[in-house]
Amino acid sequence: MTVQNYVENILQPKLQGDGGWVEYVGLEGEILTLIFRGECSKCLILHRCTQWIEEQIKLDLKKTVKVNAIRKKPYFQDV
Amino acid sequence: MAHIKVIRRSMRPEEWTDLRFGWLKRHIYSSKWEIKNLMIRDARQTSEMNFEYYTEDYRPLNKGDMYFTPDGTAFIKADVTLPEELKGKELWFSLKTAAEICVKVNGKYVGGVDPNRERMLLSPYINENEVLHFEMMGYNRSKPDDERNPESLSVRGCRQIFEGAYICTVNHEVQDLVWDFELLLDIAKSELFNEDYRAFLNKELCNAMNLIDFDSDELTGVADAKKYVDEVIYANDNYKGSGDVALIAHSHLDVAYYWRRIHAVQKNLRTVLIQLRLMDKYPDFKYTHTQPYVYETLEKYYPEVFEELKEKVANGQFEPVGAMYVEPDCNVPSAESLIRQCLYGQQTYKRMFGKTVNNAWLPDVFGNSWILPQILKKSGVDYFVSNKMSTWNDTNRFPHNNFKWKGIDGSEVLACVPPTHFITWNMPSQIQENWEAYIDKDSGGQTLNMFGYGDGGSGCTEEMIELMHRFDKLSIMPKCQHMRGDEFLEKNLKGNDKLETWDGELYLEMHRGTFTTKSILKRYNRALEFKFRTAEILSIMRADIGTDKIRELYKKFLINQFHDIIPGSHIHPVYEDAMEDYREIDKALDEIIGTGSKYFNTLNIKRDALIFVPNKKGTSSRYGEKGNWLVPDIAPLSSASLRATKHSAEWISLGDTVETPYYSVKFREDGSIESLYDKELCREWVKGDFNKLKIYTDNPGNYDAWDILPNYKDKQIEVKVTTPLHLIEKDGECATFETVLATEKSEWKMLIRLFRRSRGIEVENIVNWQEKHKLAKAQFSCNVLTRKALCDVSAGYIERETHRNTTWQQARFECCHHKWCDLSETGGGIAVINDGKYGASFEENTIGLSLLRATIRPDVTSDMGMHNFCYMIMPHSGDVVSAKINDIAYQYNVPLIKSDCAWTLPTFEPLYLQAAKRSEDGTMTVIRLSEQNGARGKIKLGKTVKLLNMLEEVLGETDTVEYSPFEIITVGI
Repeated sequence: MTVQNYVENILQPKLQGDGGWVEYVGLEGEILTLIFRGECSKCLILHRCTQWIEEQIKLDLKKTVKVNAIRKKPYFQDV
Repeated sequence: MAHIKVIRRSMRPEEWTDLRFGWLKRHIYSSKWEIKNLMIRDARQTSEMNFEYYTEDYRPLNKGDMYFTPDGTAFIKADVTLPEELKGKELWFSLKTAAEICVKVNGKYVGGVDPNRERMLLSPYINENEVLHFEMMGYNRSKPDDERNPESLSVRGCRQIFEGAYICTVNHEVQDLVWDFELLLDIAKSELFNEDYRAFLNKELCNAMNLIDFDSDELTGVADAKKYVDEVIYANDNYKGSGDVALIAHSHLDVAYYWRRIHAVQKNLRTVLIQLRLMDKYPDFKYTHTQPYVYETLEKYYPEVFEELKEKVANGQFEPVGAMYVEPDCNVPSAESLIRQCLYGQQTYKRMFGKTVNNAWLPDVFGNSWILPQILKKSGVDYFVSNKMSTWNDTNRFPHNNFKWKGIDGSEVLACVPPTHFITWNMPSQIQENWEAYIDKDSGGQTLNMFGYGDGGSGCTEEMIELMHRFDKLSIMPKCQHMRGDEFLEKNLKGNDKLETWDGELYLEMHRGTFTTKSILKRYNRALEFKFRTAEILSIMRADIGTDKIRELYKKFLINQFHDIIPGSHIHPVYEDAMEDYREIDKALDEIIGTGSKYFNTLNIKRDALIFVPNKKGTSSRYGEKGNWLVPDIAPLSSASLRATKHSAEWISLGDTVETPYYSVKFREDGSIESLYDKELCREWVKGDFNKLKIYTDNPGNYDAWDILPNYKDKQIEVKVTTPLHLIEKDGECATFETVLATEKSEWKMLIRLFRRSRGIEVENIVNWQEKHKLAKAQFSCNVLTRKALCDVSAGYIERETHRNTTWQQARFECCHHKWCDLSETGGGIAVINDGKYGASFEENTIGLSLLRATIRPDVTSDMGMHNFCYMIMPHSGDVVSAKINDIAYQYNVPLIKSDCAWTLPTFEPLYLQAAKRSEDGTMTVIRLSEQNGARGKIKLGKTVKLLNMLEEVLGETDTVEYSPFEIITVGI
């Protein structure tokens, strides 16, 4: 399974379950760029989640990645 | 010379009190013994009671570890041998968490912790000489907003840091004083209370704190401070408050919202469990809990807790309220759906507790249809409670709190719209606010104040009850009385001839977008409502006696009418769940309906309107299917073979003006109609943009899925024509024109159909919708002079003004309707009939049918993707009733089915056969009839039938059905 598939099919449903949203942007070297929307976009402890994502990818795909998190807040929360 | 603002200052005395109050709270626990052998196993919930586990076994869980995963459930366990020093003491279990955790010890549910409470009493539920086997199930789905602790956002998230679990003893002396200060500081900080009394409190609370030595290891002086509070503060009755407030303990539980329905099972368990434990501790505590559906999940999955609940119901502490199966949206569901909410809800309570309830408990519902009072009254419900109109209305102050609500047919229920929010934490300022906001002080008796955390359940806390026990010590407070919901309603509303009357819908001046958001759910809901009707009629005709299958399907359907599901205000997985349910129900109903060799008309009116009948060899197409347009001409509840007529003569001519037997039509290239001249009525129907697609920016803010702002028309986005209107299909009955429109992101194909034998003009829309924050409407500016629009409400119609004279009309800039809406003047008008749209606006001569929204909260992708829906423009002579618009709308929404069964009962015309079903006890056929035109009359049946209420209880017998305007009648045969 590719990292993109893993993000979209394994991680995404879990984040959606908490009102969050993640989108795969790209993987360059070990840098995995992800867009976070919904509740994730304003989560003040998102770093804990990105660390978990790195751990899960290591565990399931045996790949080392570092998440570059891009938050896309809705306009009404972007203050 | 520059002015320098001096902002440095010394600490004020009240801040010194606050600071020390924080110190005092650190001493609530007199001892804490950490459980250090906890083990955890991560999982994810896959259904109501099934989990996929991430690991084979448990791992250690230590203080400081990360726990919980996105959408995760955590199972935590430990075997604890109590140390000798703890034995013989009153022991508590403490676990501070932002998650929600239910705790079992040695197989018995002990309690729950969540962001609103961190401890539970252990001693009464354990044998301290046994090894204590702790089992915890935690889920981390608190709602995103917390009214009491807005700063809690800082710890809301999928991954939590474990702060340790402890067995503790509580210093009750400190705890009591903390509650005193919590209560008194709230008054001191609230401008709602007398200024002099607040000054007195600030001074004396500081004095009380002065008696505590915070530097001493033992925290000496607490008893002195308590004594001071009693003798100086509570004893002072010089400051008199006023008011009479009923305090009702309640927890609002959204069956789905920021969590899926499967998670509500455990949210409900936790809520109920916590309230049961409070009842154990406080025998005077009474709690009100609604939604029979959640009682069912408790009974099914946690029978031991349900048995405890039943005991508390029997002793009067736990009060089931709310006749409806869930708290449904009360705008979009049809009359029959709302009746089934009551039928199955009441049936569930009757089975569980031996009695039904006499109230509807709908605190969070987004406005209430005018058809509701009759449905409630005939379902054994005398009282109605719903909070939103008082606190959420954005324009007008709803003029009543305790009142009579008169429905469309003249039925009345006694209603309470409490003055304040249904989530409060029983603080004096909240109670005072309630009293001050209460409008009916002179006529309504007491005001209803709900307390308890809610939305995701949770309910009341020790603190709320402890505060309540102190209220009568304070002369400044309104008189407060803790009671059950039914006690409040009976005491204050029953027989109260001073109550004023509200005659009309309970329109909520907010959340107007929920008539349109998640449009696919709404269209599916409409189709299934009629498919249930068809399936039940077929079952009756086949003499199928089983009701269980349809009841179970209906219940699943009703759950999805919950007020955060069908309105569209939920996260994406909730949408996926609802669609899965709908597909399952759809398939099961198809199996029940079956097939046959002839077409059967399930309506009890003659099918005389042109309809599309699918046929692979057909010469026309609709919704991607081949078929034929034909007039079935099938008698009510009868069957016939159908053949498409071959009409070869030319019936339409094309040119600048399209000529049909009914109209001369001038189209624009975007599908809008410049002129619609009616050859039969010799009049022009168009005055302005007509069938014009308009897309507006729609930025309501945080309540994205819920709201539309009144100024949404300020900014319209450009819709380009990529393929101008042209003829794409024509046979002897129908000519279809296509235009393709586009925005930067979306493509909107519009198929416009003109007919040889129908006045209707159908518009099919095939949309690839990729917008964000947009509202699409079809505008119809009609050459009609009227000040009122008529709107179908599924069991009658409601008139809505089209002018903006007062703030009441201004606020109703977007309304809910069902199958049709209409603007008419004497002699004729225009109806717009839909197959699944609910939002509409009416302004002067213009109907705006809301088609699609594009919101991103709570669901980032709400409504994005493909849509396919139709509406029918129906110019007509006469008024709505004489033009039989309602009948046409039924024919438009209810497809013919194939069946060889025969209907042997009367057809009950002119009433609408709303339902025909087997009675719940299996002894008779239940017929539900609805008068929908505002008429009065009699139907001679030629046989005796039983008159029933909507709970299918026999009220009498008759051989004549007498009906009055908008009446719904249930008979048993």
